Amino acid sequence: MAQQIARPSLGHPRVLDRARARPAVESYSPTRSDPWTALWFLLPSLLGLILFLVVPLVASLVLSFTNWQIIGQARFVGFSNYVNLTTRDPIFWQVVANTVLFTVEYLLLNIGIALGLAVWISRLSWGKRFFRLAFFLPTFMPMVGIALVWQLMLTPRGLVDGVIALTGLGLPNVLAESTLALQALVLLTLWSHVGYNLMLFGAALESIPESYLDAAAIDGASGWQNFWLIKLPMISPSLFFGTVLTAITTLQAFDQVYALTRGGPGSSTATLGYAIYNQGFVTYKMGYASALAWILFALIMLLTIMQLRLQRRWVHYDQ
Amino acid sequence: MPVVSRLAGIVAAVAAIAATGVAKAEPVKLTWLMWSGSEAEVEAWKHVAGLVTEEHPDITVEFQTTSFPDYWTKLPVLAASNQLPDIVSLQAQRAPGFVDLMTPLDDLIEADGFDIDAFDPSIVEGLSRDGERFAIPYDFGPLILYYNRDLFAQAGVPEPKPGWTEAAFNEAARALTTGDRFGFAVSIPDAFMTYALSTGAHYLDEDGELDLTSQGMVDAFKRYAELVSTEKVAPLMPSSGTQSSSMAAARFTSGNVAMHVNGPWQMINIKGKSGFTVGVAPVPAGAAGSISVSAGSGFGISASSPNQEAAWKAIKVMTGPKAEQYLAEQGRAFPARTAQQSFWYDKAAEGVVGAREGIPAAIATARPYATTPAWASVSALFEQYAPVAFAGSESPEEVLETIQALSDQ
Repeated sequence: MAQQIARPSLGHPRVLDRARARPAVESYSPTRSDPWTALWFLLPSLLGLILFLVVPLVASLVLSFTNWQIIGQARFVGFSNYVNLTTRDPIFWQVVANTVLFTVEYLLLNIGIALGLAVWISRLSWGKRFFRLAFFLPTFMPMVGIALVWQLMLTPRGLVDGVIALTGLGLPNVLAESTLALQALVLLTLWSHVGYNLMLFGAALESIPESYLDAAAIDGASGWQNFWLIKLPMISPSLFFGTVLTAITTLQAFDQVYALTRGGPGSSTATLGYAIYNQGFVTYKMGYASALAWILFALIMLLTIMQLRLQRRWVHYDQ
Repeated sequence: MPVVSRLAGIVAAVAAIAATGVAKAEPVKLTWLMWSGSEAEVEAWKHVAGLVTEEHPDITVEFQTTSFPDYWTKLPVLAASNQLPDIVSLQAQRAPGFVDLMTPLDDLIEADGFDIDAFDPSIVEGLSRDGERFAIPYDFGPLILYYNRDLFAQAGVPEPKPGWTEAAFNEAARALTTGDRFGFAVSIPDAFMTYALSTGAHYLDEDGELDLTSQGMVDAFKRYAELVSTEKVAPLMPSSGTQSSSMAAARFTSGNVAMHVNGPWQMINIKGKSGFTVGVAPVPAGAAGSISVSAGSGFGISASSPNQEAAWKAIKVMTGPKAEQYLAEQGRAFPARTAQQSFWYDKAAEGVVGAREGIPAAIATARPYATTPAWASVSALFEQYAPVAFAGSESPEEVLETIQALSDQ
């Protein structure tokens, strides 16, 4: 066993020699030689991780305690960015509410629709690949491009308005109405991103062994029982993975907001991701933006921990 | 020892001469960052960059561009990462926040005997701080009212001319609104500021601080918003990545709105693109008269540039008579050089009714566009929040309060 584990270091001639000279068990010292060897292999990605993730992360934490404005010197201001954000900023809580509303609504719709479509497609006798590809295609497209096209479609007398007008109904100016603009963002994000989870769930559904379903059929299970008692538990790990990932990326939503509404009208579509950009690069308050970024980080962390806790109740990993 | 040191001195001197000789022969490549809003503008600016090489074959100017709103995001980021281009373009309203990054030009102007008096004094002043100049202007001009003459004729509405009043404007806007067409297009904040000033309101207090919530401003914004919300003579345009003034210009050129307020620099995007005859006039006169804001832009040298001398040479060409004539003829700039302004009238505004009377009349009553250091942010807030008032979801007063509060933060 020990020799088996030591095998990755075979390329190291000295280790090899030692292994020959002495009994194998004694020569193996996992605490000394192996970690160092591993370190060399890991170093390139580790350096990348430190340089591009850890350093900026720490830098932004430090920045969040300063009043840095890009140009000029930064001054340490303690917790005042955080205090101002939560107690004095007139739109902070609305931005948080927007972000949470957007995430919850989008997440439910995305998982629901992706799952529904995946089940529907998996039961088709023809055209499975075609439909999967068709729904997956928009995920290839850059969000900014999609947003610009949707902007044209949603403007008064645009495509959407025109189609609705054919039915004799009028469409309000969706992007200019505070109550509707966020819904437009949800719709656009759904259209562009539902294909990813559809793919994920579709693959999971395909991998359910036929024998399970056959056995269930012999036992006289209905279609609904098939889905609820066999398919759903079987794909629950994928479902969980899709939910966690979608939640994280949705909380960070920025591209579509930037390209479609710039947070407007008013702050009705400003998400935390957009607010960070706006504070940092439009009003040049980098310290303040960093504080916002850390609040977003905390929010994502919290939600992810919650989901990891909850998974024990509904995710089945055993075959 | 003295011989050695003298020899060393000679060697050093020869080396220095050789070095300068080499430096002179070596071509200098300058970078220049400038905003642009259309392909036509990009072409115009590239031509201006070409003029520099024509004049100084050893200097090439590399034109880099971005949209106007993004320009003000990019500039500080470049400054922070010490990557500012050699030549920086600055708009007078947004310049105050960036002055410290620039090389003061007074010594260069003086040493060269550069004739700064050939430029309109108000924009030279606009690109100075405490009497110190940091950019040479290429354009300026008051915001003016562009109108679609064909639509006016169709509706049988008398065309605007210097001295026309807000009442006449409202009447025209109503008469010109039919079905899919609107009489006017609102844009913010610049066009609104001229509207507010004309009613006698002030957006800055006596100390030059932003003061949007005075009764005068609230009343003015209420009336401006009502053009969209209740009168419905102007389309409701959402906030987006496109500036409202660009959106207004686009609706105007497509024949969808009959009037809008914009700068003379927009002529490049309006004339030739609109299938109708264009007219211009001063903004309508409110209680305080027809008061426009006059704004402009120029080019300066970033303090961090290693090519100060070459950059100064380039700027002299870029704001020189030849470049100014070209920009004027293209309709990209109402020249800051007064002698070249006739080219704008003769070429860019050729066939545009009212230009020759309207623009001088507007200049005569215009005020320099006074702003606060964080104007880019104030401007962005207007773009984002004003549509809420235009849609009628919040009162104009509340919207101004929000913008004020967010600016004060």
